[in-house]
Amino acid sequence: MPRLHLGDWVDSGVDWLVTHMSWLFDAIKTVVEGMYDGIDALLTAPEPLLLAGIFAVLAWWLRGLVAGVLGFAGFALIDSLDLWEEAMSTLSLVLVATVIALVISVPLGIWAARSKAVSATLRPVLDLLQTMPSMVLLIPAILFFGMGVPAGVIATLIFALAPGVRMTELGIRQVDPELVEAAEAFGTTPRDTLLRVQLPLALPTIMAGVNQVIMLGLSMVVIAGMVGTGGLGGSVNEAIGRLDIGLGFEAGLGIVVLAIYLDRMTGALGTRISPLGRRAAAKVRPTVWSHRPRPAVAVVGVVVLALAAGGMGVFGSNSGTAEASATDVGKGKEITIGYIPWDEGIASTYLWKELLEKRGFEVKTTQYAVAPLYTGLATGQIDFQTDSWLPTTHAEYWKKYGEQLDDLGKWYGPTSLELSVPSYMKDVNTLADLKARPAEFGGRITGIEPSAGMMGLLKDKVVKEYGLDGYRVVDGSTPAMLAELKRAYAKKDPIVVTLWSPHWAYSEYDLKKLKDPQGAWGAGDGVHTLSRKGFAADNPEVGAWLKDFSMTEQQLTGLEAQIQKSGKGKEQDAVRTWLKDNPGLLDRWAPVDGAGAKSRAAG
Amino acid sequence: MSSRLEADHLYKVFGRRQDEAVERLRRGADREELRADDTTAAVIDASFTVDPGQIFVVMGLSGSGKSTLLRMLNGLLEPTAGRVLFDGDDLTALGSRELREVRARKISMVFQHFALFPHRSVLDNAGYGLAVQGVPRAEREQRATEALRLCGLAGWEKSWPDELSGGMQQRVGLARALATDADLLLMDESFSALDPLIRRDMQDQLLTLQQTLKKTIVFITHDLNEAMRLGDRIAVMRDGRIVQNGTAEDILVRPADDYVASFIKDVDRSRVLTASAVMDTDLRGDEADCDCATATPDTPFTELCAISARLTHPVAVLDARRELVGVVPRRRLVGFLGDEHGEPTACGDPRDEGKVTARA
Repeated sequence: MPRLHLGDWVDSGVDWLVTHMSWLFDAIKTVVEGMYDGIDALLTAPEPLLLAGIFAVLAWWLRGLVAGVLGFAGFALIDSLDLWEEAMSTLSLVLVATVIALVISVPLGIWAARSKAVSATLRPVLDLLQTMPSMVLLIPAILFFGMGVPAGVIATLIFALAPGVRMTELGIRQVDPELVEAAEAFGTTPRDTLLRVQLPLALPTIMAGVNQVIMLGLSMVVIAGMVGTGGLGGSVNEAIGRLDIGLGFEAGLGIVVLAIYLDRMTGALGTRISPLGRRAAAKVRPTVWSHRPRPAVAVVGVVVLALAAGGMGVFGSNSGTAEASATDVGKGKEITIGYIPWDEGIASTYLWKELLEKRGFEVKTTQYAVAPLYTGLATGQIDFQTDSWLPTTHAEYWKKYGEQLDDLGKWYGPTSLELSVPSYMKDVNTLADLKARPAEFGGRITGIEPSAGMMGLLKDKVVKEYGLDGYRVVDGSTPAMLAELKRAYAKKDPIVVTLWSPHWAYSEYDLKKLKDPQGAWGAGDGVHTLSRKGFAADNPEVGAWLKDFSMTEQQLTGLEAQIQKSGKGKEQDAVRTWLKDNPGLLDRWAPVDGAGAKSRAAG
Repeated sequence: MSSRLEADHLYKVFGRRQDEAVERLRRGADREELRADDTTAAVIDASFTVDPGQIFVVMGLSGSGKSTLLRMLNGLLEPTAGRVLFDGDDLTALGSRELREVRARKISMVFQHFALFPHRSVLDNAGYGLAVQGVPRAEREQRATEALRLCGLAGWEKSWPDELSGGMQQRVGLARALATDADLLLMDESFSALDPLIRRDMQDQLLTLQQTLKKTIVFITHDLNEAMRLGDRIAVMRDGRIVQNGTAEDILVRPADDYVASFIKDVDRSRVLTASAVMDTDLRGDEADCDCATATPDTPFTELCAISARLTHPVAVLDARRELVGVVPRRRLVGFLGDEHGEPTACGDPRDEGKVTARA
């Protein structure tokens, strides 16, 4: 069979789109961002509990008292888990994606219902959209729309489109043909037949489709979180990245609360707005628990709460004003740092966030997976990132994107990559020792993400040089690897994992790095800071600071330990504490003329 | 006098190469030949006229093309060939907008399974056609209420279709068709889905309404009894063609072919036949000279039997001017009931005759 170069065509197609259609993507991006910002601003303006109250009144109106009380409890829970902003950001994302998905899918569904040809054409397209693994669509989305909310919305939207179209088509096709004929027999225009007969009767099915759109949208937020949409999805990713089961559960629970609320509300809304549903609901004998206020009461309730919320938003906010001083180099200029949730990445990123904010910059940090991080940097969405392992581990990425990036130099090194075993594996000390014992280790080397540079090295070089053909390198993820290590370690089972130094696992567990006498892993990498092309020229001070930046192993592990101790969400506090304990570093890493004296005077 | 509705050599062919198929049908090809080519001839060369105020029944088994024929009459289906003339206008020449206008104002339709809109109340269903016409709400509701009252549904306006029995739902369907004041009513197996008793009621009600409303009605049915009860004229369809078009009596007494004849076997003749069909017109002239009860040409068969039972001689039939037009001997009544028109044969045993007389 000749090799079909489909992938190459897709590649060049995407490239062509990026170069020639950017105006279109920019327009879409602007619209999506505008919608998202609007909704998010609306949702985050009021006090969380007031908004929870508004949601509760809506639930009370649509479903009854129990739903209202449970709704309030659910949102209060989110607030008490300290996930309110993330939840509202996720809610905004889902709402925007849902609205756009419906605007596209309902007309498409109607069209498909009226034309067999359209229906036949759409079906495979919908199958493709729905089943194509979402990460495959996510990367082009980043190329088109850049990192962040628009890419996330588009990815969510594409995934959620199919049920909207399908259910609309099904709903309309299900309408009794005799009814449509009756409408026509009385001279109804096609438009009125659609609006007065087909759509009202298809409404319950269409609402089920809306419900599906929302649910699928919510199920996508975690994946969308990988391209920096933030929100609960971002929190989940971050938690997974750090094996923080507790936080992962909390953020996951937040998503569940949103999902249940939205599911029940859209279900009830379907009943409310469909004439048949209203009649069915009216037949059920009311009880205290299913009592619902009249729409007028509900509207008044929502308005009162909204006014209270608005009022508090106006009077209650006390956003601090930035103080101007000689140390204010940035003057509010915005800098975006991207990071991979690896410990040295988190530590250095939050260190620089703190340093730059001390120097008057507005810093936004967003977490990404490796590939999106490089893509974002190459397209200029991200200003810089501090966690590039060069020249070896990230060689692939450097090869692909190096020309669009600036290397601001190494700030830590050397690092090392290795296979490690628990120290209770007494007889295994070098890579060569592994060769004879595949049975003992179950023939498995527990790996990390297949996209990681070291996985390529392991499979292509290390396995060959040491004759480890008896082993299968198991692709997975860093958290999965760490979880596997933790499990095996607790039971003192044999295990060999891919690890790298520095890594907190070495302080957590008693591990042995397997010696590499043949140097198959290559020389150690340095951890480099990479920026988008021209960042240093745009921000000469910051560029200079980053170029001069370096950390010792003791500093880095100290900072990492401090962050680990402070816990999730308090990274920057940990950095502040650590800087206080290590005075003088601020001025050393981000020197400003006379800054030392002034900041001391201000303090 | 001009007809209200005229079907002029209508053809409806589904499938490929329709015009060619029509040509072949005109040259005498039959349905089976066309079916081999994936072409279905639903209606073949249908022509008839319907006079104002007439109930025209199209009778046929399922698949005979009667529903397709009906849908060509109001343009829901476009004929492959032929014309539909309504009040002299060619409906097939109209654009879709004008056609909708005709359907909204002049032709209305009653469906087999009622086709009531489940999301509209009974009143809104009855007023649907008026809503399409753009009649203001107050007038619409008043006219819909009136139509419902005519159909015996006063007081049910606020109900919903699914709360009504089948018969009542079809009354709503009828009210919806009557509310628009359309001249032509198309009824597609409208009573077929109802219980026999309810069906009788509805047939009676339709006939009663028709006496005052004088609509022109095209009624589709597969039930010959129903056709005979309702139809001023009946067209029998078979395999897409109209095989006979005539009055109930024509069909009963002079079936066009064996197919029609096989149909009428099951028909309750006593309900259909009248004196004019049964009477012997070979007269002596003095049959009505006594004071006994007489019949008119329209006297139903059953009533004729009752009269005959009270008389010792044949029943005289007088027309509107009280002139003798025929006589009905008792033997003829019995013969029509049994579809036996021959002369009785003589019998050698006199007891036989006595037995029958005793029984009678």
